[in-house]
Amino acid sequence: MENHTEMNAKWDVQLRKGTLELVILAALKERTLYGLELLGLLHGLETMAITEGTLYPLMDRLKRDGVVDANWQQEGQSKPRKYYQLSEQGKRKLTELTLRWRKSVEDIEKLLNSPGPQPISQKGK
Amino acid sequence: MTERDAIHQYLTALSKYLARLEKAAADDVIREIESHIYDALEQQEIDGDPVDAKAILAGFGDPRDLAAGYVEHMLEGKAPPKGFKAIQRVKKGATRGLFAVTALLGFGFSLVLLVTGVAKIFEPDLVGLWTTESANSVMMGMRHTPDGASELLGWWIVPIALGLGLGFAYWTKRILWILKGKL
Repeated sequence: MENHTEMNAKWDVQLRKGTLELVILAALKERTLYGLELLGLLHGLETMAITEGTLYPLMDRLKRDGVVDANWQQEGQSKPRKYYQLSEQGKRKLTELTLRWRKSVEDIEKLLNSPGPQPISQKGK
Repeated sequence: MTERDAIHQYLTALSKYLARLEKAAADDVIREIESHIYDALEQQEIDGDPVDAKAILAGFGDPRDLAAGYVEHMLEGKAPPKGFKAIQRVKKGATRGLFAVTALLGFGFSLVLLVTGVAKIFEPDLVGLWTTESANSVMMGMRHTPDGASELLGWWIVPIALGLGLGFAYWTKRILWILKGKL
């Protein structure tokens, strides 16, 4: 059981490495969130538990790449918070990455559903 | 240490490691992380959890690593800091020097051994490895048999010198090949 859990955790880490940008963009789709809220949102999902130390430098890079906009806001007496939302470029990128993600899932599914020894049909679905 | 002290200490360390960034950029990073920490503390209180700054700080990891996460992409594509090229030049110069010294010593020593091995065949009395009676010194080379010294290896010096000579030449070549990759 221990090995099983460990293997799952390793798998999650590996998969997140490649998909983190898509995950963040998807989390910000039609939402404006500050860091702690974004982290809370991700922690509510089983395979998405990233740390603060991963999130903040990444958000900074996404801002510099122009895919998210960030601005400080203060509501009433509360402390100012830095809110993130998708930029126009970020929205376009999310659309593209979504298509690529779905294509990858489709390809993996196709492999899983086509055991050998017969060759996999090269025609589309 | 109080919760505030721990937080202060963390942020101070972080700002030290962010020193390579422009001040405005570094201040923005610190401000956001500070805001997160106090927000998270407040949330712990609201949830009725024990207030634990260390747990929150643990999520950010070592301040040095956190800073590296920012510095990496912020400095990406920017000109290397002054002095960087000079360091590269010194490094290259040092490798080149090491290359020359290794080649000279390695092949030089190898040549001496090979010549000794071959010379023994033609001038057996002049070439050998001797030790003095008191056995406190060893002499090798081409010379007249020293007084009161006895030869150690006899004819064995031929295969040993030739073998060692070839061995030295081979390893010198290997080392030089590795060093060449670094030039």
